[in-house]
Amino acid sequence: MLTLGISTGALAHGDFRKALHMMEASRADAVELSALRETEFPSLLRSLQELDLSRYRYVSLHAPSRYESLAEVHLADQLERLVPGDMPIVVHPTPIRNWPVWARFGSRLCVENMDKRNPMGRTAEELDRIFTRLPEATLCLDLGHARQIDPTMTETDLILRKFGNRVKQIHISEVDASCTHRPLTWAWSLAFHKVAALIPNVPIILETPLSPDCPSINGLLDIVEDMWSGQSLGALAV
Amino acid sequence: MSRSTSHADDRNRASVSPPILDPSAPEIGIHGEIQTPALHALGKKLDQRWPALEKAQAQARDRIRQISQILQDDKLIPSDAGFVIFGSLARGECTSGSDVDWTLLIDGQADPAHRRVAQQVDQTLVRAKLKQPSPGGVFGNLAFSHSIIHDIGGQNDTNQNITQRILLLLESRSLSSDDVRRRVIGGVLNRYLEEDISLLTRTDVKRWIPLFLLNDVARFWRTMAVDYASKRQERAGQGWAIRNVKLRMSRKLIFVSGMLACFNCYLCPAQEAGDGAPSIAPNYGVRLIAQLRSYTNRTPLDIVAQALDQYAKKETAAQLFAAYDGFLALLDDEDTRRHLEHLQPEAAVKDRIFQHTRDVSHAFQGALDTFFFDDHPELSKLVRRYGVF
Repeated sequence: MLTLGISTGALAHGDFRKALHMMEASRADAVELSALRETEFPSLLRSLQELDLSRYRYVSLHAPSRYESLAEVHLADQLERLVPGDMPIVVHPTPIRNWPVWARFGSRLCVENMDKRNPMGRTAEELDRIFTRLPEATLCLDLGHARQIDPTMTETDLILRKFGNRVKQIHISEVDASCTHRPLTWAWSLAFHKVAALIPNVPIILETPLSPDCPSINGLLDIVEDMWSGQSLGALAV
Repeated sequence: MSRSTSHADDRNRASVSPPILDPSAPEIGIHGEIQTPALHALGKKLDQRWPALEKAQAQARDRIRQISQILQDDKLIPSDAGFVIFGSLARGECTSGSDVDWTLLIDGQADPAHRRVAQQVDQTLVRAKLKQPSPGGVFGNLAFSHSIIHDIGGQNDTNQNITQRILLLLESRSLSSDDVRRRVIGGVLNRYLEEDISLLTRTDVKRWIPLFLLNDVARFWRTMAVDYASKRQERAGQGWAIRNVKLRMSRKLIFVSGMLACFNCYLCPAQEAGDGAPSIAPNYGVRLIAQLRSYTNRTPLDIVAQALDQYAKKETAAQLFAAYDGFLALLDDEDTRRHLEHLQPEAAVKDRIFQHTRDVSHAFQGALDTFFFDDHPELSKLVRRYGVF
């Protein structure tokens, strides 16, 4: 049975409360609390203790992808103190300079593979160097990013073969040439099926925005479930 | 300052390391830097030195550094493009008369500015006094991933398209970020293997020769040979002798390295993926692509050196590389080069310098004949089976 949910950032940029409210009527049983932007982070952290997330089987938190004014050590300290002990913390490897500070998170730290805007963490070889410095970290496999880096899905295959046992969660979206998350298309499902057999049974987090063709969260979840269960690829002709 | 803050500062100072992608870190190096470990290993094994080749490699490295620096300083190359070099510079065989064969390889949204970028690159290289490719040819302009990946065979696979595609696989380097080149090469290799139905449907495949790719490499070699003859007529013999010796040597080398890369997929198949892989039936096609991709990051000489080390007798290897070193020495001598550039075909028979180039090329071919047909039984079987028909 799939554990399937959405990133709050995909539903409502910078407004996790609105996103959680939107999800209440859905059957999503996973959520990624997104604080990709530095400015969103303090508010999310402060609210963590009071949020009722009990309906979700899986909850993760996405830390800021850039931290210009927040010192890296300060950010890590806050995450360590304020994020509940069992909640995975998804990070981008690009801004990391102080590796030991992040290594102490052990397997709670979930490194996301990157898109083409980033100079590292995009391929199996680049991830290998990162995991050398973060030996216990897990992997947030972003299939949209991986497909953007290599549309043939060869690199995704290599990442899964090498790091399949590290995969903690999956990100799903279609990422276009300008690195914007887009609704899933038929071509995406073709690509997905090339590596589907290698993907472990872990929570799936959609970063796909709602669209006029698919305006409901349950509708999005239906599409992903169909795709995962090997339904006709035509199911994605939205 | 609070105790916790100073403690945090101490930890920060003690533990900060450069980002993994720091250009000064050993993993990165210069974009496009050429390394030939198999070639060096073979030289040691044979206890031979090849001075012209060493000089050519050093010249290539210097020129690559120079161009890479220019591109970095001027921030010329957009993110959806790669500045890709070909020819002697990409092969690490830079001689006195070598030009800079380059292409701006685009893999992204069409942008009218791309043409302006290519022109700016051209002007920048001219200002740096780097010899430019001939105008109107395959190089010195734009190339688009779409036709390179999609038009393999068929009506739209023009001479220019096949040249760009095969040279991208066999002798290219990116002097900007390698992302675009790598992505396009991945797309091309995927095309070659996706068309091979057996690879897709059989689960017992342990080793395979990528025939679609091998045929395209062979087609390219024949195309070069035919174009050589065509140019002789078009240009009324101008530059004929230089093209003749290059066809016999460096162009042939490219073909040989491509053929060896394909044969090696059978002779030395890629191993299974490393630790952590889930216990699922291996996708041989993916491993084959990864293996072929590794060859695209090596020079033709390095691929040939490794194959000679594995499959050839020592004397064969020694003869081949001595001949190739002799060829590079010829090209690096400015007087010899100038002489060959002006030599007309009718005068070639009695020309001492040209006859010397023929002797060098005959020694090279003789070593190739011995290598492919005599030195190693498995290799000669493959050549007989796949190299002729």
